[in-house]
Amino acid sequence: MSDSADTEILDIADLDQEAWQDYAIEQGWSDGLPLVMPTEASVARMVAAAHGDNEGFAAISPRQVVPTMASLAANAVMAGAKPAYFPTILAGLRGILDPSYNLHGSMATTHSCAPMVMINGPLRQALGVNCSSNCFGQGWRANAGIGRAIQLILLNVGGGKPGVMDRSTQGSPAKYAFCFGENEEESPWLPFHVRRGFAPEDSVVTVMSGEAPHNINDHGSTSAEGLMTTFAHTIAQPGANTVYGKGPYMVVVGPEHAATFHRDGWGVDKLRDELWLRARIPLKHISEENLATYVATGHKPTGDFLTICRGPEDIHISMAGGPGKHSAFIPSFGGTAVVSTRVKLPSAGA
Amino acid sequence: MRIVNPGFGLVPAGAEQATEGKVDWLNDPIVLFGNSKPNARELLEGVKAKLAGIRRTDNIDFIAKNSASQGAPPEMINDTAKKYRIALLALGD
Amino acid sequence: MVGVVIATETFKPLVLAQAKARKVDPHLIVVKHPVGGLNAEELVERIEAAFSGFQQEMNA
Repeated sequence: MSDSADTEILDIADLDQEAWQDYAIEQGWSDGLPLVMPTEASVARMVAAAHGDNEGFAAISPRQVVPTMASLAANAVMAGAKPAYFPTILAGLRGILDPSYNLHGSMATTHSCAPMVMINGPLRQALGVNCSSNCFGQGWRANAGIGRAIQLILLNVGGGKPGVMDRSTQGSPAKYAFCFGENEEESPWLPFHVRRGFAPEDSVVTVMSGEAPHNINDHGSTSAEGLMTTFAHTIAQPGANTVYGKGPYMVVVGPEHAATFHRDGWGVDKLRDELWLRARIPLKHISEENLATYVATGHKPTGDFLTICRGPEDIHISMAGGPGKHSAFIPSFGGTAVVSTRVKLPSAGA
Repeated sequence: MRIVNPGFGLVPAGAEQATEGKVDWLNDPIVLFGNSKPNARELLEGVKAKLAGIRRTDNIDFIAKNSASQGAPPEMINDTAKKYRIALLALGD
Repeated sequence: MVGVVIATETFKPLVLAQAKARKVDPHLIVVKHPVGGLNAEELVERIEAAFSGFQQEMNA
């Protein structure tokens, strides 16, 4: 491995806040929002929070360079993250760098996908990750800082410059930060990470290259059956990337909807099975030209419908949000996977 | 003042310059490699039709990866590299 | 093996950046954007441009 043309430490003129922001934007480092200056001291504090994590990182697409702990930490500092968030940020990045996530494809695509980051386990509460009301929205430093740090890493180390290497036609607000926690405390089901084989006491970051959440509004249904009608028909849409039928999707059930499903005896497996059978796109909703392109790549109709994933195992159910009759559908990019990675907590002496 | 460069990264070892041999543009087999995007095949087949005026085309074949969003499987790339001397690839939209 | 890449002008920067990252010097044919969504008549111009570019590669 050899150094790239850049150097890790930059000696720059003394800058006040305003001049720093201008400088950082000129360098192409910003997502458009102000950045915290990554001084050597602040970066060192961030790196110290990952003490004992000596596992290397793969090269980050599309630029194909290998990050250092300091360059990753610099992005976390710039994002406004606290040092305590850093191990969670690194776990999220490791998931994104898993080959099955297909970072290169998800960066070069014209699709609006962004890294969805979901956190499970005790770190949610320790870090103050919002899992309840407005969990996809603004207002929580942990959600914003972790999600934004990952985005800045992909921009600055990965080289995903919008309009150049990031070819998204319209982009998405989710590209600023898309991070939330599962509301394990109010969920009637086992936590997402436990269902994936992790221990309840593990803290786990799950990532998927996905669209911003699509709302599922159902105030009237009083049964699981009624809710499923709304869920299935909201999810079976011809304009999401799930139309290609080759990747996963996530359904984030709100707590009141989850309570209704649970009361009627519907667990996660039942939800997945019913969505697999019912969340299919009627062929009459798909143009002939589009259908021809899908068939040409091997995605053929099942009866009068087009399936939107490969089977129930592609359907991922979690629970988040606060009071209200809303849930969310998060379609994936398509050629991606849902990857869960355990957070490595700093070793003693850090 | 000193700051840490947020774009710093290391070039992976083994990223060596690829080499290509000499080819016979009029006779060597050509693979038309589609990316599964709409009109990719039509574009490549259109080029093949026009090539008929200047070279042999009985050894020009079309193949495509089956997903526009994912890279071609390594075995597909290896098999193609063994069989053909020239690849004409359609990328992007 | 020689690889010749056809990309639309919109994707040219991405192709060049990727080639640089992978240390390859691409034989690149740039055509107008888009290719997808064109009808057969509209596609003729792209085919002409791609063929012309390929001929230049053959004669280079």
